[in-house]
Amino acid sequence: MSTEDRLREIAGDAGISVWVHAERLDGPPGSITLGGDHPVAIASLYKLPLAVAWADRVAAGELDPWERLTLSAGRVPGPTGIAMLLDDVSISMRDAVRLMIAVSDNAAGDAILARTGTAWLREWLATHGLHDTSVLRGSADTLRLVQRDTGASSTALAERALADVEHDVLTSQYDAALASSSTASDLCAVLALLWSRRHPAHAVVRDALAHQAWRHRVGSGFPHDDVAIHGKTGTLGRLRHEAAVVTFPGELPVAVAVLTRSARAERHLPRVDAAIGELARTAVHPLRLAVSRAPAPGSRPARGRSQSRG
Amino acid sequence: MDLLRHLRFFVAVAEARHFGQAAVSLGMSQPPLSQGIQRLERELGVRLFDRDARGVRITAAGSALLPRAESMLEEAAELRAHAGRWTEPDEIRIGFAADLESQVPALVARLRHAGFTVAPTVDGSVPLADCVRDGQLDLAVLRHPIVVDGTRPREVRTLATRLEAPRGYGFDDWARIDLPVVVPPRRHHPAAHDQLVDSLRRAGHSGAVIEEADPVARAAYVAAGRAVRLSVGDAVGGSGASVIPLRVRVVLPVPADRRPHVDLERCAVALEAGL
Repeated sequence: MSTEDRLREIAGDAGISVWVHAERLDGPPGSITLGGDHPVAIASLYKLPLAVAWADRVAAGELDPWERLTLSAGRVPGPTGIAMLLDDVSISMRDAVRLMIAVSDNAAGDAILARTGTAWLREWLATHGLHDTSVLRGSADTLRLVQRDTGASSTALAERALADVEHDVLTSQYDAALASSSTASDLCAVLALLWSRRHPAHAVVRDALAHQAWRHRVGSGFPHDDVAIHGKTGTLGRLRHEAAVVTFPGELPVAVAVLTRSARAERHLPRVDAAIGELARTAVHPLRLAVSRAPAPGSRPARGRSQSRG
Repeated sequence: MDLLRHLRFFVAVAEARHFGQAAVSLGMSQPPLSQGIQRLERELGVRLFDRDARGVRITAAGSALLPRAESMLEEAAELRAHAGRWTEPDEIRIGFAADLESQVPALVARLRHAGFTVAPTVDGSVPLADCVRDGQLDLAVLRHPIVVDGTRPREVRTLATRLEAPRGYGFDDWARIDLPVVVPPRRHHPAAHDQLVDSLRRAGHSGAVIEEADPVARAAYVAAGRAVRLSVGDAVGGSGASVIPLRVRVVLPVPADRRPHVDLERCAVALEAGL
């Protein structure tokens, strides 16, 4: 069975539509894709290109990572980070970036987006050839639209409306044309950019990805304490995503993006989270390559693990 | 001349190697068949058969022309069959989720009564959804929740289910039921299967299931006292507190005008009225 067929089979078994892309970030080029160029609404994954663009802007000397941000009470609510706190918070910009990545803090995300600028971010995406990626708005505005679409009186009730098992409740924020969107392959390209940068601001972002609070999606496919997962999830209703860099010790890093949309509406679907892990493992596995086996520049390409294992 | 009719004579005589038998197979008498073959030979300008006291032998020219004559007759038959599909515009190919069990014949009868000619298919929801996407079905009633990409889904409908269990168990007794639930195979629809198992556990049942494709075998498990099952129909007891309903939806193919002469929307409405 081909890798693509196996990916389809896992998706069918989990009751999800999937878009997957994986590529080696070093050594001989190699990639696996299943609908990797299909635009998908990305929910909180907008914070990933935002963090990389922020670090580029810091590296260019245009932003000060130690600038103090004041996030006052009444900001966007959320389940984690500053968004779940009650009072005014003052924080350095780089720490806000770390919370935005490590716990997908909505309040920090909106503050960083406001400070980096949507217009600047759009230009950054275009400059780096990420033509299938668009960040239209932050978390507060997205949740407001979901609330409007579902007719709910609060964002919490809007989330509950999306989880209705009796009816097929939809929102414009599931639609790649109307929401912040990207492709699995563009998200891997964002990770490749981040892995190519050497400024301390980029190290801050990479470190935050390594400290992501959740390992139930891509991480569940790699239950090995010595395998590094640098990941960022995105979740909204039936959308469950993660983009990550998987690094086995002594091997070249592999970027993988798994974007899913489930048939079931429930908020907690551990089977789907586990399927994301299995999809990631299935896509990453053929791309694994030991560092020592990578060819020196200009030499003959080494044989990949997939070939040696049949 | 009617070329196809005369080619049919040619092929019949070539097969029978005997004018009398060929005439019988064509349902005619021998003299007009012989005259017909002579007319065809004049028309084509070649001799097709040698006739002598020992019988009929096909000539070299006849052997060479025979395959072409046969393929022309086959083509003509295909043309007619194809035209026939266009003269039966009211046949609607409908897929029914196997979970609907005994509701399927009732729904088909209802549609027939409403004037629709139905070609029914009963299968798992996931394979049926693929058939709708491929244009092999005009309509399907699928179990919700299902991936509906590439189809036009209609509203989700909730159908009451009945618990078939040994006497003494009601719908609120899931925690007391220590028998497994016999269900259609998970591969019919993994997401709905998993959702049912989650619901059973939520209600206090162990979530143990037996997967069985044949509805008669499912009924037999229950009759033997080895399992309980949920079947579509009015809930017994009427409490409804822990009822696990069956949710379905009608899906149509995209584009809508795949068979413009069939009113799929009207059929979908009639189908939903019966659910």
